Amino acid sequence: MNLRARWNLVRFFITFISLFSGWLLFTWSLDTGSLVAGVVSCIAVSLVTWSIFVDETEAGRRAHLPRPHYFLLFLGVLVFNMYVASFKVLWQIVRGNINPSMVHFRTHLRTDIARVVLTSSITLTPGTITVDLNEDHLVVHWLDAQTTHSRYAGKLIKGIYEKLLRRVWL
Amino acid sequence: MNIGTVIFFVLGAVFNIMGNLGVIIFPDAYTRLQASSTCSTTSVLSFLIGCMFLVGLGPMLGRLLVITIFFFVTSPISAHIIARFAWQNGMVAWRRNFRMTGGRGRADG
Repeated sequence: MNLRARWNLVRFFITFISLFSGWLLFTWSLDTGSLVAGVVSCIAVSLVTWSIFVDETEAGRRAHLPRPHYFLLFLGVLVFNMYVASFKVLWQIVRGNINPSMVHFRTHLRTDIARVVLTSSITLTPGTITVDLNEDHLVVHWLDAQTTHSRYAGKLIKGIYEKLLRRVWL
Repeated sequence: MNIGTVIFFVLGAVFNIMGNLGVIIFPDAYTRLQASSTCSTTSVLSFLIGCMFLVGLGPMLGRLLVITIFFFVTSPISAHIIARFAWQNGMVAWRRNFRMTGGRGRADG
């Protein structure tokens, strides 16, 4: 068994485990019939989609095994920031006093999944929308721009997310 | 109906109404997208958390978690696609008039 075949097998199993954990969460039962149906359908779906789900060059260990405690902390920080920023946007809608601007900055994250999660969480936080992501260069539309300086704006927008995501993935 | 459910449902209703109001008030496509997509994201999240408080620990909680994960993955992507389409077609974002007001006044043109 050469290296490529082994890596293909690992990709297949990563796809299978991701699908099967979703199945367990969705059915929430440990009956034999339910488990067998889950395993069969997950194998059928993974046989079709394993080559799309995990990219061939994405071979880092941290790309597939995020540190769970930091990931939970990240989710908590994300939801908290969403509520705080929502109240800010609410206040801006009530007053009608907005100062929108496009800001450009760069990120230090290396893996693709970490960058995608960073842009998604910037978009999920009210007040900022990621307009474009090109390698490590982000274009963000900011509803209440306090600065247009690239590094300072990046620090204000992505600050805590990037720090946590570097611990979760890389 | 416990107290957590009531709080989160009220929060969700408030965010939803104000987000839709923002769509009417704001001047251009990007800012309207901010109001509609991101405020309604928080509103739907509030409704889902309220439902989690409502059902308690059980089989429905797992399904709600799956729906929340799916929503967290898809919602920013749909907003991002609309914004990216506008950006690549060269739409210029609305700016407040800096020259007239010294940077911190109301827009006047």
